Amino acid sequence: MAQTDSTPNRSMIRRALFLSAVCGILAFTVLIAQLFRLQILRHDELEGAALRQQLRRTAITAGRGTIYDVNGRVLAISATTFTVYLSPAEIAMNGEDPELIASGLSGILGKDRERILGMAGDRRSWYKTVARQIDRDRAAEVRAFKARYDLQGVKLEPDTKRYYPYSNLAAHLIGFVGVDNTGLAGVEYTYNDELTGTDGSILRLKNSIGTDLLLSSYEDYVDAENGNSVYLTIDADLQYFLEKQLRQAVRDYDVQNGAAGILMDPRTGAILAMASLGDFDLNRYQEVSEDVRAEIGAMTDEDEAAQRLAAAQQAQWRNKAISDTYEPGSTFKIITLAMALEEGLVNPGSSFFCGGSMSVQGRGKPLNCWKHAGHGPQTLTQAVQHSCNVAFASIGLRVGEETFYRYCEDFGFFRASEDPDASLTGRTGIPLPGESGSIWWSRNVFCNPENFSQLAAASFGQTFNITPLQMITAVSACCNGGYLMQPYVVDRITDADGALLSRTEPQVLRQVISEATSRQVNAILEQVVCDTTQGTGKNAYVAGYRVAGKTGTSEKVARDAAGGSKEYIVSFIGYAPADDPRVICLVLMDTPSASTGIYISGGQMAAPVVGKIMADVLPCLGVEPRYTAAESRYLDRPVPEVTGMTLTGAKKTLKDAGLNVRIVGEGDTVTDQLPGAGTAVAAGSAVILYAGTAPGEDTVTMPELTGLTYAQARDRMGERALFVCSDGTILADSDTVRVAFQSIPAGTALGRGDTAVVTLVNDDNESYGIY
Amino acid sequence: MKNKYDRPSTGQMQTAEKRHAADLPFALLTLLLLAIGVVTVLSASFASAYYDIQGETGHDPVYYFSRQAVFALAGVGVMALCSRVPMRVWRRLAGPVMALSLGSLAAVLAVGSVVNGARRWINLGFTTFQPSEITKIAIILYFSALICKYKDRMRTFRYGIAPFALVLSAVAALLVMEPHFSATIIILMIGASMLFLGGAALGWFIGGAGLLGVGGVLAVALVPYVAERVNSFRDPFSDLTGDGWQIVQSLYAIGSGGLTGLGLGQSRQKYLYLPEEHNDFIFSVVCEELGFIGASLILVLFALLILRGYWLCMHAPDRFSFLVGGGITTMLALQVVLNAAVCTNLVPCTGISLPFFSYGGTALLIQMAEAGIVLSLSREIPFAETEGPSPIRKK
Repeated sequence: MAQTDSTPNRSMIRRALFLSAVCGILAFTVLIAQLFRLQILRHDELEGAALRQQLRRTAITAGRGTIYDVNGRVLAISATTFTVYLSPAEIAMNGEDPELIASGLSGILGKDRERILGMAGDRRSWYKTVARQIDRDRAAEVRAFKARYDLQGVKLEPDTKRYYPYSNLAAHLIGFVGVDNTGLAGVEYTYNDELTGTDGSILRLKNSIGTDLLLSSYEDYVDAENGNSVYLTIDADLQYFLEKQLRQAVRDYDVQNGAAGILMDPRTGAILAMASLGDFDLNRYQEVSEDVRAEIGAMTDEDEAAQRLAAAQQAQWRNKAISDTYEPGSTFKIITLAMALEEGLVNPGSSFFCGGSMSVQGRGKPLNCWKHAGHGPQTLTQAVQHSCNVAFASIGLRVGEETFYRYCEDFGFFRASEDPDASLTGRTGIPLPGESGSIWWSRNVFCNPENFSQLAAASFGQTFNITPLQMITAVSACCNGGYLMQPYVVDRITDADGALLSRTEPQVLRQVISEATSRQVNAILEQVVCDTTQGTGKNAYVAGYRVAGKTGTSEKVARDAAGGSKEYIVSFIGYAPADDPRVICLVLMDTPSASTGIYISGGQMAAPVVGKIMADVLPCLGVEPRYTAAESRYLDRPVPEVTGMTLTGAKKTLKDAGLNVRIVGEGDTVTDQLPGAGTAVAAGSAVILYAGTAPGEDTVTMPELTGLTYAQARDRMGERALFVCSDGTILADSDTVRVAFQSIPAGTALGRGDTAVVTLVNDDNESYGIY
Repeated sequence: MKNKYDRPSTGQMQTAEKRHAADLPFALLTLLLLAIGVVTVLSASFASAYYDIQGETGHDPVYYFSRQAVFALAGVGVMALCSRVPMRVWRRLAGPVMALSLGSLAAVLAVGSVVNGARRWINLGFTTFQPSEITKIAIILYFSALICKYKDRMRTFRYGIAPFALVLSAVAALLVMEPHFSATIIILMIGASMLFLGGAALGWFIGGAGLLGVGGVLAVALVPYVAERVNSFRDPFSDLTGDGWQIVQSLYAIGSGGLTGLGLGQSRQKYLYLPEEHNDFIFSVVCEELGFIGASLILVLFALLILRGYWLCMHAPDRFSFLVGGGITTMLALQVVLNAAVCTNLVPCTGISLPFFSYGGTALLIQMAEAGIVLSLSREIPFAETEGPSPIRKK
């Protein structure tokens, strides 16, 4: 074999040289240039994009703080729940069956199967929420389902749900949260930032299936800080009493348009209770009353139904105590009284004459007193007791428009404006959402020296609108020594571990009247309640306590103008003890129904409610009742244990207890008694003593008691071996005190010895009137 | 290496039995790249082996690595063995190897296991292998032998083109039936390089290149599948779910590397973002972990190995050795360059593995055997022991 034939020729060598240049140098130069472009020039862009897909931020949800009442009872608390979500991308990646997932989850969670199927089909998504706030049991079912079919695309993450252990209690004040645990109403809304806490987060590198990298050097951890706890000034007991009595009153008087009540500590401005009816269950805040549900269910038009639902929700969520404004009417006479006393223009002995009407400069027709016959000559105290409009109009005129205007501003009813023609408004600034502003005359209209009609009407609380909260705050200033306090609802804030962060110090906004004037106001207002003949507030009397207060009744002008029947807002503002007020209470009821037969006025309707609230609340506040000898005579009393005694001994014991006796049987010893020991009954009730015979087992019929005096009612019941006691606070010391309601309807079959509860009202038709 | 032929060459005609020490640079570069490759498999496959997406590793993070390491050790033995087989023996084996290749290509169509819709693998029980890997070396050996046989007649169509085209067509047809387009392309390119080295008229290559260009344009215009590939190559970010996905993940990995890289073992993209991270896209993991500096260094090592391969081929004592050396080196260069070009989105995405790096036992063994053949030819180059002139300058 010749070497020339077997060795590669020059051309072949050249070609090999060419290939080596192309494949060994040129190609690699291009590759390295491309690497330079990608790794150096486009490094930031590409790494950023890579990190966006590799890093996952996981939120660590901060627990929402708890809301307590002033004594540490839980009003709102968060519990762990779960959010179920799908990762459709992983469902697709792992080839999991969307049909199976949709069927399984819709079965467990009660969600629409098609909707879940739709979510599962969105392959580009990593997060589709199926259900929120699933409790532990459901979550366990989902987890079991996930494990059974090894579903990577079905995921659970912890979340929280808000629970309100007292359901309806203080619903408007506490407020509620939305599904994202953000406060939407009440304290939940105002103090959302305190309650929310700070979510933490973990920024971690994740693999494409979303779990942590095995060896990761890139991690950023921010711990979650749980929300703070908020302690309200509300006392759940007082709130309960307020709501109980309001609810009862709304039923008794068939109140059409809801009711509101506020309990406040006049010394500090702390709200002790605040209620608004109709209310709702905080745990199901979107659920409306059955009536409305039935109404909506009957609607065929979907839009109309949705509107009705929304309107009903808005109505039930409305905190009337701060969101509704009203004409306060005669309760405002307290303010006029206080400023006139402070200015030295009147004193308790000042005399006034009411002839039933008076003329006022600038007012076309004469100003009528609610009592058209007129109150005649009266002292200042009597004018307040009578709630005399003529007397108060003249007091207002005596104060003068400028001074009156200034006092109203100082009492916080409005905020002065630069513009004398601007109609005025003001609010207390209580830290709750939805507080309405008052509606006042502009300075130029009110302070018109040519026209005193506004001044005269304002003197007894008409022609302007304020919120119930403004009213109670101003009256607090009248009774607490003259200090206008800033109302508040949060007593203190602690961190999640209970360490105190802040405490609300009572804040004096200004002193409006002197302490001496305040004492005079208290003395006069106590006479409104405790004088059972002249006091228009006598139905707020609470035996054993010194309650002061003032009635209020105002016509609803708008409806009146529209030509319908007259509608009224009845109210009462009262406080106790009169010499050192510890609690002040305002109750107002919007549009009580005439059908109940009770005369519509603050004195007949609102005063008894405040009296009952005071009777419940004062012992809670540590104020012990002190009965006078006269009061003791009229009080209900417990039946003593006399069974087993001799007849003589039993008779004496009952006599001493202020009770009468009826004896059945021939024996010498008491073998049985009706009613049993401890039952409270009206003074003078005849306790039945059985001497040797047993009580009959037959039934008796409940008689009609309304309209009777307490003694008549007691005796009518006694005839049937039945008994009565009073739930009221006023004493049956006058013939005008009559039974207004009975707890057991007439005609009900009862056993012998049963006791019915009656509500007494001083139904003195002499004092009927719009005051 | 010491042996009885260790004496100065006097330029006299060498017998085929005259063998020298194997070329040290080529051997060392091969072993160095193999070592780096095996370590890279450990790093790159760690995550997917642990998560066991394919359901074959049993969550053993070193599953792929340990297998690759065993094959690498065996590969070193295979390389040493092949380097001791004289070139004339390889020439005699050309025909049988070609026959084996065609047989296995036919067999795979019948008994091959289907992976991702293609029959490319034959399961031998203890291991699996792709017949296309054997075809590559078979073409090189067979064409070299054929070119040596036709010698000067290579410039004619009848001898220089027709028989080769016939063989290539047969092989390509079998591969397309699997289908295995990337192997088809590589084998056609290897075949063309062999003819180029063997002295076929340049006109054929110019004409062929022109024909390929026109065909390519037509394919892009007419075949939706091809157009899709080209589109996702031109703008991979436009289609993040389909073909674009893997190339974008590769670019993310490479770009994340920066100048110095995230550090060995620190790749993030390997955590199930980057597909085929221990196979076709292993180079992207190298770039991410070792950065521009490390990746460039590895490319330079490959370039040196390739240049050394050409250098050895150009010094080959006979035409067969020259052609085999040039063929194997060109094949190596084609695979390295195309693989890196796919990873860096310089060419449209095709499945080409990176020699010595990509996971795959039989492929690695065959690559080591090929390196062994180059070493075998280096042992027949007489200059190694002399200060004598290079054969190139020798008349």
